[in-house]
Amino acid sequence: MSGKGLVDAERRRFNAFALAPSLIVLFMIAGLPAIYLVMTSLTPFQLVNPGSSTDFSSPLRNYRLLPGDPRFVNSLWVQAKLSFWGVLFQVLLGMLLALLLHTQSRVVEFARTFFLIPMVLPPIVVAIIWKLIYTPDISPLYYAAGLLNIAMPSLTSSVDFALTAIIIADTWEWLPFTFLMVLAALQTIPDEFSEAALVDGANRLQIFFYITLPFITPILVISGMFRLIDSVKAFPLVFLLTGGGPGSVTEVTNYYAYLLAFDFNEIGYSSSVTIVMLLLVVAVSLGVVWMGRRREAMA
Amino acid sequence: MSGGMSGPIRRSASVRRLVAIGVTLIVLLSPFLWLLQMSFKSNDLILQFPPPLIFTPTLQNYASLWQGAFPASFVNSLMSASFSTALALILGVPAAYALSRWAGRGKHALSFAILVTRMAPPIAFTIPFFLFYRWIGLLDTVTGLVLVYTSFNLPLVIWMMQPFFETVPPSLEEAALVDGASTRVVFLQIVLPMVTPGVAATAILCFLYAWNDFFFALILTRTNARTAPVAVVNFMNYEGWEWGKIAAGGSLVMAPVLIFSLAVRRYLVSGLTAGAVKG
Repeated sequence: MSGKGLVDAERRRFNAFALAPSLIVLFMIAGLPAIYLVMTSLTPFQLVNPGSSTDFSSPLRNYRLLPGDPRFVNSLWVQAKLSFWGVLFQVLLGMLLALLLHTQSRVVEFARTFFLIPMVLPPIVVAIIWKLIYTPDISPLYYAAGLLNIAMPSLTSSVDFALTAIIIADTWEWLPFTFLMVLAALQTIPDEFSEAALVDGANRLQIFFYITLPFITPILVISGMFRLIDSVKAFPLVFLLTGGGPGSVTEVTNYYAYLLAFDFNEIGYSSSVTIVMLLLVVAVSLGVVWMGRRREAMA
Repeated sequence: MSGGMSGPIRRSASVRRLVAIGVTLIVLLSPFLWLLQMSFKSNDLILQFPPPLIFTPTLQNYASLWQGAFPASFVNSLMSASFSTALALILGVPAAYALSRWAGRGKHALSFAILVTRMAPPIAFTIPFFLFYRWIGLLDTVTGLVLVYTSFNLPLVIWMMQPFFETVPPSLEEAALVDGASTRVVFLQIVLPMVTPGVAATAILCFLYAWNDFFFALILTRTNARTAPVAVVNFMNYEGWEWGKIAAGGSLVMAPVLIFSLAVRRYLVSGLTAGAVKG
């Protein structure tokens, strides 16, 4: 009895020693910055005006300005469009790719690795790759269009196509992620189901819609939500391909917050934009955790 | 095992499917291959259309990179990524072990806090870090980058290492504890050696995340601590459109990533989805 008590006490002491440094460091490099961010969002802080960093006279001023700021409202709308189409294409194409590669073959297993390349590239390299593709002088895409006598507009500086150009690049970059997740889900489907259905005379399309799809729907939703969270971070593509333009056609909220803080020196106002973005991310994260738990409970 | 009656889905790949896979792979990777071939071309050749299928590759782009400020930025990238990986492992591995053996209340709340830290858009950290560094003089230093990178690598280590510790059977630890060994000795001499592959995979992922960073380095560095991704973008802005050099720089930045990440591809998903789903 008392021996076990001693072991428990020793274990608890060890746990405290093992956890404390991480918790302290996390508090200092993540907790404190978060608190600091909330505080600056309550001030009209501008870098050129140091005194304004402690001016809490009208703490909600920034948040009251937000709904009436057309650039902010527009940035949310641009973000929504980018996230919606990006996530939709990534989930759909990722699923098709997973179905195509879900087969037992040494060659295919080897080939799978190469399909992951776009996802593991540094995001700035992905942006450079698409910059090359979208620059008329040096692009095989424009050359091919020229051969076919199609006059292609400069995609990244066209009001109509700039956002599409970014969505294409973003889909290319993150397709492997949904592909990997769907493939993992496909591999857990027991063969007996489709074999039984085949014996009952079902065709391939029916097997897909009545067996495969219900099985992978949860993973489609979860991988889509992960991409939704990360789509808020799309920075290098916007930064390098369009710079938010033309006008503010591709100016997502993240980019607007960046311009506010580091171009216009409006630190306080930018902080409030960032807080709003953070709250949206937390809400979606809660949803993902909830979905994950429910899935584990079901399994 | 492979009887004549193999299932409809699991049967070995048909020729049609293999062709479809091959074509898809080539189409998907063509933008990436375009960058790669461009890095071996002279600027005249880059502007030549139709593009010659066979050309004599040149290393002049890489050579001119080597003579400029690029190697220094490469070293900065290496240092900040390695140090932040080491720091995150030293702090996070014991913490992950403690968490994996801890069923107390507050675990879920803590887990969620860690998840949010991973999910937060970088700008949320950049503004406070920028102001703080400006104040204490850590702007444009490798130390500053190491600290920022640890803010996302430490949660990653704590998340990724827990499942590895859970695979170590508790009976092993109990036997040693009964023999009078302290928990610290059990951790260092019995448990840790059993999870070495997990530590290696986690270390590589940490390194890659730090290496791939563009946003923090763009804002928190100027010239001294500039990292390779920022240096490549600077070619575009300040040295005109030297496409060959840009392509070579991009290829160099992605080289370590390609080598390492293919080594840990099994863990890529669990690293990205950290915690919410069991990869």
